[in-house]
Amino acid sequence: MTKLFTDGLSFALPLLIMAVGAIYSEKSGVTNLAIEGFQGFGAFIGALAAVLIMRHVSDSSQVPIYVAMLFAALGGGVYACLHALLSVNFKANQVISGVVVNILAVAMTTFFTSAANTALTGTASNKFILGVSNRYTIPVISGVPWIGGLFQKMYPFEWIIIVLVIFFWYLMYRTRFGMRLRACGENPQALDAAGGNVVRTRWIAVIISGALSGIGGICFAYSIMANYSPSIYMGYGYLAIAAMIFGNWSIPSTVLVCLVFGMAKAGGQQLCIAMKLSSNYTDIFNMLPYVLTMLLLIFFSKRNHPPQASGQVWDKSRR
Amino acid sequence: MNEKKNRGLAGLLSSDRWSDFTVSVLAILLMLITSSIILLLMGRNPLVAFRSFLQGCGILPKANYGGGSGMLSDFFDYLNILSPMLLAALSFIVAFKTGLFNIGISGQMLLSGFLATIMVGYIKELSPWLAKPLVLLIGAAAGGLCGALIGFLKYRFNIHEVVSTIMVNYIISFTTGFFINTRYVDMLTRSSRICTPAARLTWTKVPIGGVSCNIPLGIVIAIVCALLVKFIFDRTVFGFELKAVGTSRSCARYVGVNVRKSIILSMAFSGVFAGLAGVTYYLGYTNTMVPKTLPGMGYDSIAVALLGNSSPIGAIFASAIVTIFQSGANYMSSSVGVAKEIASLITGVLLLFAACGEFMKELGRRKIQKEEDKRIQAIQAAHLKEVSEKGGADR
Repeated sequence: MTKLFTDGLSFALPLLIMAVGAIYSEKSGVTNLAIEGFQGFGAFIGALAAVLIMRHVSDSSQVPIYVAMLFAALGGGVYACLHALLSVNFKANQVISGVVVNILAVAMTTFFTSAANTALTGTASNKFILGVSNRYTIPVISGVPWIGGLFQKMYPFEWIIIVLVIFFWYLMYRTRFGMRLRACGENPQALDAAGGNVVRTRWIAVIISGALSGIGGICFAYSIMANYSPSIYMGYGYLAIAAMIFGNWSIPSTVLVCLVFGMAKAGGQQLCIAMKLSSNYTDIFNMLPYVLTMLLLIFFSKRNHPPQASGQVWDKSRR
Repeated sequence: MNEKKNRGLAGLLSSDRWSDFTVSVLAILLMLITSSIILLLMGRNPLVAFRSFLQGCGILPKANYGGGSGMLSDFFDYLNILSPMLLAALSFIVAFKTGLFNIGISGQMLLSGFLATIMVGYIKELSPWLAKPLVLLIGAAAGGLCGALIGFLKYRFNIHEVVSTIMVNYIISFTTGFFINTRYVDMLTRSSRICTPAARLTWTKVPIGGVSCNIPLGIVIAIVCALLVKFIFDRTVFGFELKAVGTSRSCARYVGVNVRKSIILSMAFSGVFAGLAGVTYYLGYTNTMVPKTLPGMGYDSIAVALLGNSSPIGAIFASAIVTIFQSGANYMSSSVGVAKEIASLITGVLLLFAACGEFMKELGRRKIQKEEDKRIQAIQAAHLKEVSEKGGADR
């Protein structure tokens, strides 16, 4: 039971940070299906940085993880500029732009991972071996029955994510910038009339979205996958988008949705172990989050209120 | 001289008649330039690489051939990948014209390929005349139903089709993977057992002119489907209604189009083509299925559709171009020594430029507008000068 909470949380938090990224972009009025590509590309840059640094530090050092997270955020942010350029300046269809960015990310990272591996080690492997981050247990609270599992064997990145989510919640709902960002997604003409800069706000929002997704991606690479390979494109980015849709584009409710997703996934795995099924059956349980998403979407999609201007190209001359 | 040339390009980009064509050609040119730069950075000669792409798919002759194979057999292999690619692109186009994004082509391909394989492909005694139509029928039905489901969810529950198709993709991928792994796996290759030659949509090892070729049945189907899609959209009320829904949903509703029916039928049609693409891919080109792997073709076809300006005839040419890179990648990789993943990188870059099409057109328009403004200003200035001189003389 405690394992359920431990594993569930370590899956839910990276998902959450990506969902927060998606919320930022959509709240500013840019439909963002590119989360999948952002997280993969960000994780690629982070993993590359980690691999380069790992040659100079001792094996047990945890420094590469933090460097990787920093670079993943940078890489995701820089790569997000492509989506911003296409959908804000070039006025491309935002759904198409998102899909393009995803496809390009998969192609680029796959190609350059093997290219980088050939250059570094001489073998054309499509993987960066990263290992798994250390885990820490919080002494007192972890002893509490039931929810104690939430505090056992935590990855350090979970704390970083929690801090980041609180910060970005504050930024969106309690600051002038956040107010403008939300206005930008509801009624960009009003923001423009009030003296805001729609193009700049959307650019910043998309870049934030890329940076947060990159962090989410590298956290998956350092926890579930233990390496960076093209299998990072497992669709978790899309899962984050689905979480955002249930969470009705609001950060606090998205937190809850992500926790449910995490528990569903961990629960499936625990069930599989408890029933002593062969490894083939894990596929069926891995499917659970996606099935759950479909079912929840059926029940909740009707009541949704996406940001009004989301997906629309902003044209200053239009009323 | 240079200015004149620029105006020519801008004119072509903004003219109604030529702009679609010019934008596609420009996207291809930009793609060639970008991939040349990547190849140059890796220290390879891009011209040699592009030549070996063409050699790999049987358009240019290779230096030497293995026993029993020749340029013609390479070309038929190229056609064999081309047919599912074209069908998948048609699938995207049908949905796209209705204003829907079928990102689930991969999943629909996988589902139809899987169902056709287990229902027909493993039956030993079956006449090819019965098996092949049955495979096509099952493929079309499976894809169509899956598409219709997405359309239904979209209309009834307001679920964005992009999110639902992606979820369905993963569900199909895991489910078929589970069944292949537990029941239909070939222990040696770790993918599904190959299906019988009777069910396969490719005639294998047909001797033509001294070389043995694998002749794809799918290419005929694909071209017929492209013409069919063109006919539906250009000549029928149904096609017009789909386009109307794609242009403005509320407007279509006001003029009396049944939007619900159009959305569901459009997704179903799209699914039918994806299903046909699936059977021509899995029971024609590969003849086996790797568990838990979605075909990348489902996404590449989006590039094809955009490059072909979402017209079925354009898609024929666009798929012919994109497939050159997919099909020739293996030969290019072995002869030039660049990882064959560069093929998908090239497709991605092409997709990127194709998506900028609208912007390119606008640039062309802006340029012409600017020149027009300059011309008018010059005339006005000359006129003003004339008037003021005249005025001075009068005084």
